[in-house]
Amino acid sequence: MLSLSLRNSRAKNDRAISNIDFSKIKSQIALYTDAIFKSYSEIFFLRSRTVGILLFLTTLLNPHLAISGIISVLAAYIFARLINMDQKFVNSGFYTYNPLLTGLAIGYLFRINLLTVFFIMSAGILTFILTVMLSSLFSTYFKLPILSLPFTLISSVTYLASSKYTNLFVTGLYPNLTPGILFFENYFPFWLAGYFRSLGTIFFLPYVIPGIILAVAILSSSRILFLLTILGYYTGTIFTGMLMGSYHNAFMDINHFNYILIAMAIGGIFLIPSIKSYILAIIAVAVSTLLVKSMEVFWLNYGIPGFTLPFNLVTLSLIYVLGLVNYPMVAKLIKSTPEETLDQYLSNLGRYGGTKRTLSLPFSGKWMVWQAFDGRWTHKGSLKYAYDFIITDDQDKSHNNNGTNLTDYYSFHKPVLSPVRGRVAKVVNSLPDNPIGQVDRTHVWGNSVIIEDERGFYVAISHLSRDLIKVREGDWVERGTLLGSCGNSGYSPQPHIHIQAQVSIEIGSSTLPFSFVSYSTETRFYDNDLPTENTAVESLYQDKCLDIITSFMLDDRLTYNVIKDGQKTGEITIIIKSAPDGTFYMDSGKGKLYFGKYEGTFYIYSYEGRDENLKSIFLALPKLPLAYKDGLKWEDRIPVDIVATGFKKRIVQFLSSVYGNLARTSCTFAFLNNKTIEGNVSARILNIEKKTRVELDDYVGFKSIKVDNLELRRVKNEQVRG
Amino acid sequence: MRMKYETPVIQKCQTGLMNKFGSCPHYSRKIRTGIDDVSIDNLVEKYGSPLFVFSEKTLRERFREIHRAFSTRYPNVTFAWSYKTNYLPAICAVFHQEGAIAEVVSEMEYDKARKLGVPGDKIIFNGPYKSLHALEKAVSEGAMVHIDHLDEIYDLEKVADKLGRKIKVALRLNMDTGIRPQWSRFGFNVDSGQAMMAARRIHHGGKLIINGLHCHIGTFILEPDAYGVQVEKMLKLAYQIEDQFKFGIEYIDIGGGFPSKSKLKGTYLSPDLSVPAIDDYAEKITSAFYKNLRPGDFPRLILESGRVMVDEAGYLITTIHSSKRMPDGRKAYVVDAGVNILFTSFWYKFKLEIDREVQGVNEPSIVYGPLCMNIDVIDEGCLLPPLNRGTRLIVSPVGAYNVTQWLQFISYRPNVVLTGENGKVDVIREAEDLLDIERRERLPEHLLLSSKSS
Repeated sequence: MLSLSLRNSRAKNDRAISNIDFSKIKSQIALYTDAIFKSYSEIFFLRSRTVGILLFLTTLLNPHLAISGIISVLAAYIFARLINMDQKFVNSGFYTYNPLLTGLAIGYLFRINLLTVFFIMSAGILTFILTVMLSSLFSTYFKLPILSLPFTLISSVTYLASSKYTNLFVTGLYPNLTPGILFFENYFPFWLAGYFRSLGTIFFLPYVIPGIILAVAILSSSRILFLLTILGYYTGTIFTGMLMGSYHNAFMDINHFNYILIAMAIGGIFLIPSIKSYILAIIAVAVSTLLVKSMEVFWLNYGIPGFTLPFNLVTLSLIYVLGLVNYPMVAKLIKSTPEETLDQYLSNLGRYGGTKRTLSLPFSGKWMVWQAFDGRWTHKGSLKYAYDFIITDDQDKSHNNNGTNLTDYYSFHKPVLSPVRGRVAKVVNSLPDNPIGQVDRTHVWGNSVIIEDERGFYVAISHLSRDLIKVREGDWVERGTLLGSCGNSGYSPQPHIHIQAQVSIEIGSSTLPFSFVSYSTETRFYDNDLPTENTAVESLYQDKCLDIITSFMLDDRLTYNVIKDGQKTGEITIIIKSAPDGTFYMDSGKGKLYFGKYEGTFYIYSYEGRDENLKSIFLALPKLPLAYKDGLKWEDRIPVDIVATGFKKRIVQFLSSVYGNLARTSCTFAFLNNKTIEGNVSARILNIEKKTRVELDDYVGFKSIKVDNLELRRVKNEQVRG
Repeated sequence: MRMKYETPVIQKCQTGLMNKFGSCPHYSRKIRTGIDDVSIDNLVEKYGSPLFVFSEKTLRERFREIHRAFSTRYPNVTFAWSYKTNYLPAICAVFHQEGAIAEVVSEMEYDKARKLGVPGDKIIFNGPYKSLHALEKAVSEGAMVHIDHLDEIYDLEKVADKLGRKIKVALRLNMDTGIRPQWSRFGFNVDSGQAMMAARRIHHGGKLIINGLHCHIGTFILEPDAYGVQVEKMLKLAYQIEDQFKFGIEYIDIGGGFPSKSKLKGTYLSPDLSVPAIDDYAEKITSAFYKNLRPGDFPRLILESGRVMVDEAGYLITTIHSSKRMPDGRKAYVVDAGVNILFTSFWYKFKLEIDREVQGVNEPSIVYGPLCMNIDVIDEGCLLPPLNRGTRLIVSPVGAYNVTQWLQFISYRPNVVLTGENGKVDVIREAEDLLDIERRERLPEHLLLSSKSS
């Protein structure tokens, strides 16, 4: 939303130069209000402006509270501008929700007057400074977020300090009961009223009415988060109730909002929502009951409520530990709701296989996997992550004639190409090619080239032919650089290529898992995967033509007619832009489509915004091999968000946290010719079946994108190169 | 049985020691009783003689062998089937099924490829003569047009204007690679800087985009090194064009010209010794690529091989019609196939195989065709045992150029069949009859013989 208004304003700037001042002011205002409202929704881990506004309006139930919160955020915001902080970060609301909470905490205690305004401002600025500092320290040293730790610290500090500020007490302290707010209090059973009150307490409104509003706000944004608030609250409260012996008392304790926050953070935000994350959330809540109660006993002696301290302590410790043990379901990319995070995670799981140690096949043409990982002969123990390749003919023989001479073997003296870019670290080039029937048991690896990959591992290729090795130690090689020729040196019963990723420069060091990029078996394309034994694989090196077509440049403008059922209904212009992290995206004015090229494949990574046209591009071309082969086919899995809408989407996304494959989209694509890709996208549970067709342009980008009856047809545009 | 009478002749006796014909010339003979398990007898019985026979198995095996030789050495290889070598639809279809695109040199060939179902973007359009009409059709269907001369640049710019878009084209080049005769009549010369000038002209025009380079250094090239020189010069030029004009050279088409295992007239060694293996060519070409390519750059390597793919898959079955004794004492045979359907006999010395075991000592013989022309000679000096009338000679390799360059001269062209991989034999071109010959012929009314007499 923020970026949307940002871009809107920019577009307006472009259009109306005479109105530049007016639009500038307008956009500035939009920016500020955005930042402020986002601070509100961030408290519930959401990034929605609408929810922010709703939450702000809720705080108005107590005007002192509301104004105090705003003052604190504004003070922090103005301070940030004063010290020239990067606007982008401040606008996100990430640094300002702590000052907001501090402001609310003070507003809860003191009414607004000149004195309290100064008090709030200084507390707000202090919280902000602490937020920036702690968040830098936490993310650097612990890889942790700071949650609301600065707020807890500063609020405690202000509460402690205020006990000495007699003047403040005299002028400021007020009974913060808005008339009518207690209206619903007695109409609800105690166990329900307790939940709403705890929810309200998060915004310092420990009553049923604000609690109901907040619950509705959460429910409307994320079903998963809503479920977690209930799970967290009732687990914690019932557990406490059992220990205390009085459920009534337990449900009266408003400090139980900590359980709600813990459950939300663990179950839906920092972990990928799933049965397991829900269980972990319940465990986290259960253990936090100790903290909540002990804190009440200890902190209350000093007249401070303890705020969100239990939430911070439990959540941060648990995330830290999960990170330490490399728990796989820690969310690496936190989107604006848990549903989106989950959707992206599930789709990525299906889209990007393999490992991060990506190697190209070290040869040209079609070879057979002779031995894969954990092979039957030699790929065992610490040497299990290795592959052997040979060439075979139609009869699956690896040689012609009777195979008694090395030259009978198809693989013999075929070029061996570098699978990675890096520096040649070691070359062994002294061993003869053994005649068929003999093996060298002393120098098992034979002639080898070991390349140090930039990403921190080594790749060894062995059994090369002596005197045909073309590289020397210290040479820089790119993917596909000719290293030498396949031979029969070392422990090799027939000429073959052995390849492994390994930990050190030494010959025969322990191996590491890796995967191959951009290859095909028959007509199936794999962007990053591992072929199985006895399959014929063909390496696909980047085709220059497809590479040129997918080489978008910044500021390229592509204009398309939007055609529905043969009728032109509109026009969109896509501009190529670059995000702060360097990712390129297509900007249509209403949405963004992030894309990139990685080792032989063009990907559309993700989509944000509200633009059906951009969605259809994602749908029709989520992945494109940058190598052409007749009839080449590939599969993909795109997020539910792209194919479904409305109520159905919400239900499916929610249920996906319980059963990940529920809404699995099955997408198959194939080259019809070197310029046309046809696809089929289906999802059974969503009852979706879409036919797609993409025509690539001769020069840059796509000529036409078709999804069912919607077509984007390129308008000739002089602003494109070529 | 009575022995057949023959006029006695005196022959020089040669021992079985070393001689230029190889071992024991008097009794060595080549027998072929079938092609791909289909007997010669059956073929002739069903389809007549003479008869062209193509082996689908050999076609596919040959393609795969050559494809493997290149694709296992360079990761981006495409073969383009040279239509002029043999454009019988069945033959082209086999190669297209194996993954080859089409290479045509005339509008007729272009139309043939399109009719066969080859999409425009899988057709390379070569040749020094392309009419404006043909160019427009090819460009609008996305064909890869290889420019031969400056006038074609003007023509293509006209087409670009008409279609309202830029056109991707390739430049045809010629160069000195050490091969004589040097083919310098096609394309732009690299060594003199003409090619670079053409590129500059194209860049200046702003209507065409150079995305490929093409060069064909000659035919039946027996020196693999020549291709190494060719590739080096082409890649240097490619990078020069890329750097100077910012065109992306997507493919390098090195043409064809690989020899088949045929014996050229006047050569001494047998083709098994004189013709280098396809792997030698592949090795020279791909090493020149690795030596001259920039890191990470793999432009598509296109090969337009024709002869080497198809020649050995073709046989011609002929039947001995008569024999006679020449004044110099040599034996002569007249067979039912002549140079009109065996065009390559002008430069090849074919392999002649007999369809059955025959008794008797080999003697120097001549094989004449059936035409009433002095030049109609299939082989002017070979050693054959005495052959009876009706014996069949199987002539090979004849797969390349014959069924495109053959002439309809005083006789009908025979059946062409394909022995399928499934064991089935299919006619892929029916024998002609008078209707075929006269279909396009018109006789003005006043010349009608019947009307004259009346």
